[in-house]
Amino acid sequence: MSTPSTARPVSPHTGPRFAVVGNPENRRVSLFADAVRAAGLPGPRVVAWRDVLREGGACFAADEIVRIDSPGENSEVDRLLRGDAEPTLVEGSARWYAGFTAALRTLRGGVRLDDPGELAVLFDKRACHGVLARAAVPVPASPTSGPDGAAVRGWDDVRTLMREHRMPRLFVKPAHGSSASGVLAVESGGAGRIRATTSVEIAPGGALHNSLRVRRYDRERDIAAVVDALAPDGLHLERWVPKASQRGRAADLRVVVVDGRATHAVVRTSRTPLTNLHLGGSRGDLAAVRDAVVAAGGRWPDLLEVCERAASCFPGTLCVGVDLLPAVGWRRVFVGEVNAFGDLLPGLTGLPGSGAEDRDTYAAQVAAALRTPAAAGLLPPHRTGTPHA
Amino acid sequence: MTIGDHLDSFHGLPVHTFPVPGAPTDDLPEPDSVAWRITSDVYDADEDWPVAFARFSAAVDTTRVKALVVGAWQEAYETDPSGVIEALLAARDRFPALRAVFLGDIVMEECEISWINQTDVSPLLAGFEALEEFGVRGGTGLEFTALRHGALRKLVVETGGLPVGAVRGIGASDLPALEHLDLWLGTPDYGGDSEAADLEAILSGARLPRLRHLALRNSEMQDAVAAAVAAAPVVDRLEVLDLSMGVLTDEGAGALLSGQPLTHLKKLDLHHHYLSAAVEERVRQTLEAAGVQVDLDRDDAEEDTEDDGTVWRYVAVGE
Repeated sequence: MSTPSTARPVSPHTGPRFAVVGNPENRRVSLFADAVRAAGLPGPRVVAWRDVLREGGACFAADEIVRIDSPGENSEVDRLLRGDAEPTLVEGSARWYAGFTAALRTLRGGVRLDDPGELAVLFDKRACHGVLARAAVPVPASPTSGPDGAAVRGWDDVRTLMREHRMPRLFVKPAHGSSASGVLAVESGGAGRIRATTSVEIAPGGALHNSLRVRRYDRERDIAAVVDALAPDGLHLERWVPKASQRGRAADLRVVVVDGRATHAVVRTSRTPLTNLHLGGSRGDLAAVRDAVVAAGGRWPDLLEVCERAASCFPGTLCVGVDLLPAVGWRRVFVGEVNAFGDLLPGLTGLPGSGAEDRDTYAAQVAAALRTPAAAGLLPPHRTGTPHA
Repeated sequence: MTIGDHLDSFHGLPVHTFPVPGAPTDDLPEPDSVAWRITSDVYDADEDWPVAFARFSAAVDTTRVKALVVGAWQEAYETDPSGVIEALLAARDRFPALRAVFLGDIVMEECEISWINQTDVSPLLAGFEALEEFGVRGGTGLEFTALRHGALRKLVVETGGLPVGAVRGIGASDLPALEHLDLWLGTPDYGGDSEAADLEAILSGARLPRLRHLALRNSEMQDAVAAAVAAAPVVDRLEVLDLSMGVLTDEGAGALLSGQPLTHLKKLDLHHHYLSAAVEERVRQTLEAAGVQVDLDRDDAEEDTEDDGTVWRYVAVGE
């Protein structure tokens, strides 16, 4: 590994300072930088993933507060992480994962808002499911959970696990996928019926592509072809919990947890089993969700508590986005996924009582980062106490 | 489109879901003030439907219950509701006021409409002679043995594909009180194997003297249905004609407009259609001027055109 050449920054500013590892052109980075500046601090030092990968790492000053952001949506970075796969190809996620976790280990120093070991778990759905299940967080049943989970080498293994675990309806997810990339919602019924709903498209040559359109396959050999192509990268299987609905659309929640507290939440609704917004999902009505939970005899704070419990499995990570799945009838909830980079909800302010009522997800994280003991210790004496201009 | 929401009202009453096991039942609504939804779960049911029904029957004064909504039963994707029907029939003496039953209020996330297994529903109707409203969802395995029912006023059959046997069975039934008939014919892909000619007994109206509202909709052969309706004797007695949710194109609408006059209708529902703007305008001019309320909302009817020019059109609820 070559020596990182990113110069250690020298700044006349003596208060807290931030750095962010990300793709500089990405709005995640600019939204975070805006939040830092809005807190009266100099903008963060932006360390490009591209440079980290090309130069074999990056170093941070002992007092730099370091945020790691998504390496996504940049084809060059994607190529560097995966080795030369086409960006829309679904396959190659194992290589991406290996590249990403290795890159995390090349970041040195700084006050870190993310833990490389936890990120490695968060980007492995099998490991993440295992951690959550052991912490008694409600998760959909899975035969591939944790280190003792079943390996899935292809469609035949999926079929066997469906039978053995009585899971006629399930999600098949690439272990290292993000968004709905490569996810199949599979249902089987009497008389050999089977159907998969997915954004994966089989190109004429047989190659798989992610598309922005959800499609259905009802021939088993098509489904098997998709699954067999995805399996070498690792697959996670999960029972499909029938989701509650809002105005005729299946609904789930994305809840952002910052420093242990559920601060922001949105409802996502869809006419398909995949609720991701880029697949035609849309935002639902949060107040109506609260009403539905109460009408079903539940308590809204209990839902947030489940999200906070999920987040507490990752104590070294300042912020996670929890996908909360309310089961049909709004009587039960399950945690679908915990996302490391699940905070891209521009302009959304915090929940009442969350302490982030006037802050977006980025401002909430900046405020929380400045509250951490490590960051607080960085404040020189004259900067403590009441802030001044 | 799919079915996304559970019924929120039925038989003119708000639907109230009977609580899950262990939940308090001391604050239930008056037995005759709601339509009671009794449900199990399609997957991983903690309680089979007949058990939930028994719990309900013990907690509520069943002699005052007017309407029941059967929600999910266990493994509906491969199990028909025979057990549900048996439980209802076995309890009929304890439900003297029951006037309405919906069988299969199951939404897409639980089990998509074309996957819901059904069975012969006629024994249920025969067993409840005072029933005025009956609805059923799901076409797989659905049968409707011809019968005579003197009280039934409203019959709704929601499917992604209605088997021809059920279509003929309904047509061959004597339903002297029936005012409202709503059949979702669906597509051959999901078992909707009837042809327009199979609707003849219904369209003659011979056994449906009181029919006022006829919906033959959600059909892949909506054009052929429209053409058949255009010359159907029953249309004369209708107030509402509903040919919505299907693959209705200019051909079907043209046939409809060139058939018998429809100006006596209060409402013509064609929403979710594939009509050209010109034909839409013709429908409006012909009927709206005569005081007919016309629903021409295109809704989510969208054509897909392939590179080779093949055009795909879809019914509103298939899957």
